[in-house]
Amino acid sequence: MKSALHWLFAVILTVNLAVGQSIRFENQTKRSGVTFVLDNGTTDDKPIIDSVLGGVALLDYDNDGYLDIFFTNGARIPGLAKDSARFSNRLYRNNHDGTFTDVTDRAGVRGEGYSMGAAAADFDNDGWTDIYVTGVNRNILYRNNHDATFTDVTERADVSGVSGGKKLWSVSAAWIDYDNDGRLDLFVVNYLDWSFENSRVCGPPGKRLSCPPSLYQGQPSILYHNNGDGTFTDVSSAVGISAHIGKGMGVAIADYNDDGWTDIFVANDNERNFLFKNRGGRAFDEVGVETSVAYTEDGVPVSSMGVDFRDWANDGKPGLFVTALGGETFPLFRNEGNGFFSMETYKAGIGFTSFKMSGWGAGIYDFDNDGYKDLFSSNSHVSENADLDPQQQYRQSNAVFQNLRNGNFRDVSEQSGPDMQVRTAHRGCAFGDLNNDGKIDVVVSAIGSPGELLYNRSPGNNHWILIQAVGTKSNRDGIGTRIKLTSESGLTQYNHVTTAGSYASSSDKRVHFGLGSDSRIKEIELRWPTGKLQVLRNVKADQVLKVTEE
Amino acid sequence: MIWLALVSWGWSPAFAGSCGEMEAQIANVFRELARDQPGEAEKGLELIEASHPDCSQTLLARARIEAAKGQSSQAEDLFARYTNLEPGDARGYAYYAAFLIGQREYQRADAMSVVAMEKNSNDAAALAVRGHILDMKGQSDEGMTLLQKACELDPENGEAQFQLGAIYKRAKRPADAVKHFEKATAVNPSDARAWDYLALSLETVGELDRVEKSYLQGLEVNAPGPHFDAFLDYNYGRFLTKRNQVTEAKIHLDRAVDLVPQMRATWYERAKLNLRLKNYQQARSDAEKAAAIADQAGVIIDLQVYVLLEQVYRRLGETELAQKYANLARETQVPIRGDHR
Repeated sequence: MKSALHWLFAVILTVNLAVGQSIRFENQTKRSGVTFVLDNGTTDDKPIIDSVLGGVALLDYDNDGYLDIFFTNGARIPGLAKDSARFSNRLYRNNHDGTFTDVTDRAGVRGEGYSMGAAAADFDNDGWTDIYVTGVNRNILYRNNHDATFTDVTERADVSGVSGGKKLWSVSAAWIDYDNDGRLDLFVVNYLDWSFENSRVCGPPGKRLSCPPSLYQGQPSILYHNNGDGTFTDVSSAVGISAHIGKGMGVAIADYNDDGWTDIFVANDNERNFLFKNRGGRAFDEVGVETSVAYTEDGVPVSSMGVDFRDWANDGKPGLFVTALGGETFPLFRNEGNGFFSMETYKAGIGFTSFKMSGWGAGIYDFDNDGYKDLFSSNSHVSENADLDPQQQYRQSNAVFQNLRNGNFRDVSEQSGPDMQVRTAHRGCAFGDLNNDGKIDVVVSAIGSPGELLYNRSPGNNHWILIQAVGTKSNRDGIGTRIKLTSESGLTQYNHVTTAGSYASSSDKRVHFGLGSDSRIKEIELRWPTGKLQVLRNVKADQVLKVTEE
Repeated sequence: MIWLALVSWGWSPAFAGSCGEMEAQIANVFRELARDQPGEAEKGLELIEASHPDCSQTLLARARIEAAKGQSSQAEDLFARYTNLEPGDARGYAYYAAFLIGQREYQRADAMSVVAMEKNSNDAAALAVRGHILDMKGQSDEGMTLLQKACELDPENGEAQFQLGAIYKRAKRPADAVKHFEKATAVNPSDARAWDYLALSLETVGELDRVEKSYLQGLEVNAPGPHFDAFLDYNYGRFLTKRNQVTEAKIHLDRAVDLVPQMRATWYERAKLNLRLKNYQQARSDAEKAAAIADQAGVIIDLQVYVLLEQVYRRLGETELAQKYANLARETQVPIRGDHR
């Protein structure tokens, strides 16, 4: 009997250890030198723009091998001008020692207008990462000058976010080579037809709340085709994007049907979501309804905000994780591989807990390096005055759901460290390995609070690899490259190169894999956007591996 | 405290004269009625009737017992006799009004509840029934105020507790709703409705273990009567589905369809479960049935049915039908939520 009990205890302990006993984050903002505070410039009337900003980008702008941080910021209302330093977008250079230096002014990226989000990638294939900034009244494309400075090339590139003579309210953007021509195109997600002239107020004076999107018309997304000469052409109409009016907030890309052409998911706020199926790089079919990702399993839309589009089931088929408002749950879609997705929010165990959360940023990443991707959401209610309703909470803590390796997840937020219990007005977040220790960190922006640099301090010695794809015939960043990795123990995982996803944010372009106890990788297959398959064998773990397209 | 007790029992000198020391026994009769135990109430009442044939309150108690037993015409006659005999007693009109609600005679109930309040606007039974009626008429804020007062004056008024909880639930104040449903179930453990609503509210606040227990307690007492809840199986089935207990969920959703076949929601929910279980033909049959039933209350809107049919047909390879419903879904306006968020 005694030995049976010991055995049982040992089994329980083993299971706990095996299923990644803990994921832990520590907020290192104070010692980092990052002083950014997201300023929405709010006014008593709480215009709707003030609640939905806050994108972050993680990029290596100076090619030193370390991720730098770019925060987008608001502007004064009603002027929508960054007429004070407090409204500047901010670029922080990584000093490789846990500290950062504010290089905004030197880099020339303070920005203009009321900014929303950012998308980083090397659009001109020169080996240096560029930045696209979305906003209410101004979108900006910064070309990297290779000398730690950027030049605003928006006008020349013709990517201002103006459509039909009108600047649309852009929230998120994704770099994507939709036609596999080796040049990154730009997909811009637009939200509402809002202006001060048609701005509505909701709630009584002194207790204004953010109005719902239903009070405004939606807007179409824009797809800019990269002409390869520093200019772009708006092909939204030609490829069938502009016909779909949504209320877009988040965007993520993946080749969901494994046909070699990257598809686009747009998270719409209280409207059906869009899944743009890429028809051979020539056009897109919107198949959200047909693939069952437009609505929840209850057949209604939710307030979709952030999204990530990756294979969370290790079955080679990218699924979707979407954040939404409290009372809705966070939709988690499994890609069945037959053209259908099934919503598994409750089935996977995140329904009851996410019901109480309002989420913005969203990520599907393996935080405990056990070979199974977990979920992260940065949380807060929309309305600053939400607390006037005792049942609501404006400030919320972020959440992390651990993959239990059986299709289920467990909310381990409470066990993920005191810094994960901090309730604030979180917004966008970006994912990447800030210190190259092989663990995925998270940078979160929050209205009225310092940005959070959540370093991943998960215990254990699980192995990992970061793969940096360098395209030669494909786009330089290798965006769209699908990677299949089989480690020593035979565990196979899938991911793809992208910086898009989360909410209005842009993440590490390097592709991360956790390897558990495997210190070697049997095989890595890279299927480049050109269609070329490149295979690496017997690769050692725990390194940043640069793979150049052969 | 004494004043409160007297107010809550609608004390008046007339009763004192005729019923004498029987007040406590009559209170027991009323308590049994509040617990859905008309048999026990009747036993107690018979003793009082034998010893105090002139006690007018026995008439009111008898009326309520007959109402609880489903003897509508007898009950109505007794309520009428009582209000004639004791025209100053607000409770007579209040219970009469509550009886009329049960008979779906809402206009008469409305009028009767007004009279009850005119007689005594501090009577808990009058406040409770008037609050309930105002809520039914869409005046939920006013109804809530009256029900709050009713619950303060007489915390043992299970119906008032239930109705107030229901208003809080609809107002998305689940924590407040839970308190009142807990009280309602404590007063009357036989109130299956209250267990059901308690479970739904507990789910919203995240107390999942208690959800399960509440549903099970509700199912145990869910018998024909004034507090029978035809949707208990439906709600429990949905909850079990969310918990991945799909086999058990199917049993309860099957029962829900049997109990409430005229409701779109039951067919819809079972169709969804069948779809999940890959029982596509059964899902089709259920979904088509759901589509054929109008849902005026908007529990399951047309958009939801279109989306479901699209998914079922798509999986059955009925491409044309699937596309028809995909198009219908796209053309259908999404529901608008609130004026703020």
